[in-house]
Amino acid sequence: MTEVRCDIAFTLNGAPVALNIGGHENIVDVLKRLGLSGARESCGQGLCGCCTVIIDGVAESGCLTLAQLVDGRSVQTIEGLDADGALSPVQQAFIDAGALQCGFCAPGFVLMSHQLLAANPDPSEAEIRDYLSGNLCRCATYPEIIKAVRLAASRMRAAQAA
Amino acid sequence: MRGFEFLRPGTLNEASALLATGDAAARPFAGGTGLMLMMKTGVFSPSRLVCLRQTEAEHRAITPTGDGGARIGALASLSQIEHDPLLCRLAPVIARTMTTLANVRVRNVARIGGTLAHGDPHMDMPPTLAALRASVVTSGTASRTVPVEALYAGYYETILQPGELISAVLLPDQTGWHSVYLKCTTRSADDWPALGVAVSVRMDGTTITDSRVIISAATEKLTRVAAAEAVLNGATAGLAAFTAAGEAARAVETIEDARGSAAYKTELVGVYVRRALQQATGAGGN
Ligand SMILES: Cc1cc2nc3c(=O)[nH]c(=O)nc-3n(C[C@H](O)[C@H](O)[C@H](O)COP(=O)(O)OP(=O)(O)OC[C@H]3O[C@@H](n4cnc5c(N)ncnc54)[C@H](O)[C@@H]3O)c2cc1C
Ligand code: FES
Ligand code: FES
Repeated sequence: MTEVRCDIAFTLNGAPVALNIGGHENIVDVLKRLGLSGARESCGQGLCGCCTVIIDGVAESGCLTLAQLVDGRSVQTIEGLDADGALSPVQQAFIDAGALQCGFCAPGFVLMSHQLLAANPDPSEAEIRDYLSGNLCRCATYPEIIKAVRLAASRMRAAQAA
Repeated sequence: MRGFEFLRPGTLNEASALLATGDAAARPFAGGTGLMLMMKTGVFSPSRLVCLRQTEAEHRAITPTGDGGARIGALASLSQIEHDPLLCRLAPVIARTMTTLANVRVRNVARIGGTLAHGDPHMDMPPTLAALRASVVTSGTASRTVPVEALYAGYYETILQPGELISAVLLPDQTGWHSVYLKCTTRSADDWPALGVAVSVRMDGTTITDSRVIISAATEKLTRVAAAEAVLNGATAGLAAFTAAGEAARAVETIEDARGSAAYKTELVGVYVRRALQQATGAGGN
């Protein structure tokens, strides 16, 4: 079948981008073309969270998001978190808690943890498990990930209170 | 999954017109989570997708109705529904069900209209809403109000006509009703269930005055079990009535698949209907 192409323009980690894409492409395909590899397609079915992107402040699975739907919108990826040269509190906590082995899943877990903590600054372990149930870690770093989220939460609350 | 048109009309009526072309490969696109999976696996190759999201401003509101119920616009996302204060008060079973429905990202994107129109019998919201006596309002080529339990014609099949769109879901007043949805997953917690059971019971003191018993996942399509309701209505809430209702529900025709044999699922139906009734009413132990 002939490919339908279209032009899209959106804000990527704060900077405007415009490009021509295939109508069937998802946002992970397009990010890869733009040189960003933090969101990666793994299961391709919405289950594992490796492809997590934040669109207009809302977490989505990039593998299920047609790229043309981000036209005119704002997309944040893991690469935007330390754009100012400093790791985000969640990134730092993942390192400090040893919450990654191969690291393939980490961008998704870190972005989802930021979303969780923005909505709920002091989540219980059950709330963390629920919120992150759509993220899979093949290296099974789950206990450390939960520790990392709690560490980030307490540091972020302390920073807030200071 | 190449070569499809992707159209973005501004109103549901325009969307209907773009869909009522006689082309079975033209489909409405809401959250797209169901469609993207079908397209990626080659189960469905669309010629035309008609995106409904531009109509969101008009069709995503959740508002109280004059008679104590709520109206949910078809473009409301599952996350929006999960956290909506009105719905949490009116029917807490909805938010409870959401916590084990897919994951946060899918719930952020999936819309209630797409969720009900998808027709996969394993899904959680159709039985939950059917037990709450909800209906869908349609617009476009046909305009009608259909109880959720009557929406399904078969496996992945609804009674919606080409160009007929779900525009809203109506939830009636729930005063006096108690509802529970249980799913039984037999392989891993996040797998599709072998069985879904949603029950709703209206109580006057300890007497059951009305009820709904809905079975999903184990059956070809969502099924309301009138025989179980007949056992319950007028009975005293308790283990005897709940066990009898479970027995009556075993009459539904279950289907064998990788999650269990038909006979096993029939066993599950009896047990889960009883348990759901116990949990909904707090009567008859647990
Ligand atoms: C990773 C993953 C896990 C999942 N886990 C669960 C789970 O645990 N429990 C569960 O219940 N579900 C689960 N699902 C299914 C999910 O709930 C559905 O994919 C979703 O609800 C569909 O909604 P949507 O808006 O994305 O629909 P779409 O994909 O946009 O559409 C689905 C169907 O409805 C039609 N349609 C859309 N809107 C309308 C309308 N307004 N009127 C008429 N027709 C319409 C479309 O043409 C299509 O046929 C899961 C999905 C994924 C991807
Ligand atoms: S690759 Fe998108 S969720 Fe797994
Ligand atoms: S650290 Fe390897 S997949 Fe999570």
